[in-house]
Amino acid sequence: MTKLLQWLLGVGLLLGTWACLVWDLVPAQLSPQWKEVVWVAPMYLLMSFACYSLATIGYRVATFNDCEDAAKELQQEIEEARRDLAKKGLKLS
Amino acid sequence: MATGSDQAVGMAMVALSALIFTYYTVWAVVLPFVDDDHIVHQYFLPRPYAVIIPTVAGVVALSAIGSFFGYVMLQDKMKKKTK
Repeated sequence: MTKLLQWLLGVGLLLGTWACLVWDLVPAQLSPQWKEVVWVAPMYLLMSFACYSLATIGYRVATFNDCEDAAKELQQEIEEARRDLAKKGLKLS
Repeated sequence: MATGSDQAVGMAMVALSALIFTYYTVWAVVLPFVDDDHIVHQYFLPRPYAVIIPTVAGVVALSAIGSFFGYVMLQDKMKKKTK
């Protein structure tokens, strides 16, 4: 089974359970407060995922190591290449 | 470690996501169990907004990404035509 099918199956199961609980298709007795929580559950999971993504990206941006030597070396190589190509007649912006 | 402004931006994103997560958790999961006459309810919008606001934000975000993508594709097409 492909990954896509696995994901779709999982999502389908979750949404099915949610639909059954919210639209009273199953004889489950939920207190009104729990019903409120279940009703918001999919959106809550989506929001949690979004917050997690944002936090991970932010953390990785903050802890990414600078490579000073590699940066300088790259600049030198760019200059060399630019001069070389200019000699051969190509104009670079 | 990353330099100054990178660190600041990264940490700001982490802090923002923590804030949003905490507020939304309280709003969606905790409030139904709190008595209706407790003062904490005045810090939160009515419940349906807990679904409406993320949906609208999501639609706006997707439209922005989509139009940016479309704009870049069009630019590329125009350039290819005039060449």
